[in-house]
Amino acid sequence: MADQKHRILMVSDFFFPNFGGVESHIYYLSQCLLKLGHKVVVMTHAYGNRSGVRYMTGGLKVYYVPWRPFLMQNTLPTVYGTLPIVRTILVREKISLVHGHQAFSTLCHEALMHARTMGYKVVFTDHSLYGFADIGSIHMNKVLQFSLADVSQAICVSHTSKENTVLRSGLPAEKVFMIPNAVDTAMFKPAPERLGNDEIIIVVISRLVYRKGADLLVEVIPEICHLYPNVRFIVGGDGPKRVRLEEMREKHSLQDRVEMLGSVPHAHVRSVLISGHIFLNSSLTEAFCIAILEAASCGLLTVSTRVGGVPEVLPEDMIVLAEPDPSDMVRATGKAISLLPNIDPQQMHNRMKKLYNWHDVAKRTEIVYDRALKCPDQNLLERLSRYLSCGSWAGKIFCFVMIIDFLLWRLLQLWQPTEEIEGVPEFTLPHHQDEEIISNFNKDQSLG
Amino acid sequence: MDNIISESLLRPKWRKVAYGGMQPGFDDNHTDESFLEDMVMNASVVKRDLLKVMQDSVSISQYLCIVTLVSLVWARTLQSTLDENSLLLLDASLFGSGFLVLLLTKEMRSLNLLFHYILNISFFTTGLYMLAPIYHPLTRSISSDSIWAVTVTLVILHLFLHDYSGSTIKAPVALKNPSLTSCVSLNASVVASVFIASRLPSRLHVFAIMLFSLQVFLFAPFVTYCIKKFSFRLHLMFSFGLMAVTLALVYTLHHLLFMLLLGLLVFISVVCPYWLIRIQEYKFEINGPWDEAKLCFNVTD
Repeated sequence: MADQKHRILMVSDFFFPNFGGVESHIYYLSQCLLKLGHKVVVMTHAYGNRSGVRYMTGGLKVYYVPWRPFLMQNTLPTVYGTLPIVRTILVREKISLVHGHQAFSTLCHEALMHARTMGYKVVFTDHSLYGFADIGSIHMNKVLQFSLADVSQAICVSHTSKENTVLRSGLPAEKVFMIPNAVDTAMFKPAPERLGNDEIIIVVISRLVYRKGADLLVEVIPEICHLYPNVRFIVGGDGPKRVRLEEMREKHSLQDRVEMLGSVPHAHVRSVLISGHIFLNSSLTEAFCIAILEAASCGLLTVSTRVGGVPEVLPEDMIVLAEPDPSDMVRATGKAISLLPNIDPQQMHNRMKKLYNWHDVAKRTEIVYDRALKCPDQNLLERLSRYLSCGSWAGKIFCFVMIIDFLLWRLLQLWQPTEEIEGVPEFTLPHHQDEEIISNFNKDQSLG
Repeated sequence: MDNIISESLLRPKWRKVAYGGMQPGFDDNHTDESFLEDMVMNASVVKRDLLKVMQDSVSISQYLCIVTLVSLVWARTLQSTLDENSLLLLDASLFGSGFLVLLLTKEMRSLNLLFHYILNISFFTTGLYMLAPIYHPLTRSISSDSIWAVTVTLVILHLFLHDYSGSTIKAPVALKNPSLTSCVSLNASVVASVFIASRLPSRLHVFAIMLFSLQVFLFAPFVTYCIKKFSFRLHLMFSFGLMAVTLALVYTLHHLLFMLLLGLLVFISVVCPYWLIRIQEYKFEINGPWDEAKLCFNVTD
């Protein structure tokens, strides 16, 4: 069973050329799965004029479905609109398992639904945390419950995220796996020469929005600058709160001590990171936070708010945690500054190499795939009973939606029988080395 | 016994961490006893007391009575049982009593503020007097039935969206801005008054009824709010007095309406509070480490 090779379809609205935690997760996971000998195909929506089929490093095939995003890179939820193309891709690529990413992605939810209707095993990875209190979350949680009601296995990126997903979707806890993100340590190497300690540079790289705690930064930065005259800040990132940070800089006359870089392309993140000693993360909610891993891999000591999955991400001696209020963050930064002489970036980098590895993530995901394929096949009636238990009204609506989907699928079968869809020819690429993948990845980015 | 201890010593303990690969001896779907340990249920739920809720519901009954009284005046004027002189007298007496209440309940009395109010109100009255000829023939081409239907809908909308906890018109020093719904509610009531006024026979009628309606819809919430802040007991007494007067006046108009109003008042101040207390047990609130952290300071954009 262990050497069984899968043919996996990764589905998400979020993929290259967009950048973020989910995008890099899908990319690296796919690359490592390809290396393990599986076949991986990615499906996402069209980005600008990037539409159609593209090949990426290592023979990773990407379908940019000609479906325009309408809000925050999400496709318009049409429920059944994507059924024909999902079906064609599944049949053409002879897929054995569908893996959807991210709860916000409408394309992912729709593809999972169609794949279940067609009897495929599906795995879902949740990359984010959600509350239970506001109307947006209540709605989102219901959608997630619908999507996950019939999922074979689910993956979360941290233990906190697992707790959250289990509560939101009502899945049994043993069906939810915890497989974290990782970091490409070869791409995030520390500076070749150690920086001097007479001036301490604190780096912040994040989108400057409320959820990333930009308002905390506005309170914390002047306080730290006041307490430690030898500290300088480098703030990378853009967003609606940038104006507030710039106002703060004017108000406290810190123009020469706080440098604002604006948005930093992912390819340049390392060069910004290695110019500093401490990485400051002020997020108010975070399922995992890859930025911390990238900073730690570059040998920076991290100061972060204690929110969501952040406390699980690094061993205690590599991170200083603080409550999300300004005074505690100032205290934590002070502690980090006092710890700084004992930190060796190269040693930290070597530790990170042992702690996080995408190949390890791929192997653990492989186990989940094996489990998913072992799940018994179910007919429509058995599956409908699961949807029915989702709620007194919602359950009936979910069932109705699934029945229509089933009928549409049958109609498509009549219209274009499976045998008439041409399968793709098989080909294998010569094996790639790690370094090569990375250099190509960088090239892809600069092209994008 | 020893075996179990040595086994548990040999086997590394599961830790709630994401780093370091798969934990030896545990699958990735391992669910520890500490699972959902940090979940807090119903942390911020307020225990409600029936009497307190009933007392609070009086504000709603009171405002309902005020709106009913306004509708009564509308109906009487349309039936021509109230002439324009008595309407103007009513306006003047309402102004007087409103000012009196404001003066008596305000902590700091200043002539300046009083002057400010009087100036504003004289502008307002003059403007209304000049607009009355425009309102007068406004809905001539529309049938009375349609006007009644629209007015009733608007009044119901007004009651539904009204801000019962405060007042839309704030004192000059108020901090909080009124919400969108309360503004929509106020506008609905103003439009309803214009519709009613446009059915009346003379311009003076129109002016008198518009002044009356606007006085009540704009300032009554403010006045009752001041009374409530000044003394809760006075607020209760005032409300019960108002209810009694309203019920008596409605009884003279129509018996069925009286029953309806009585039923509504009982529903609002007895049934609804009891219902609210009963459904409290279904309250289910979940908090945990996944919640977005709240900032402990105010963010001003």
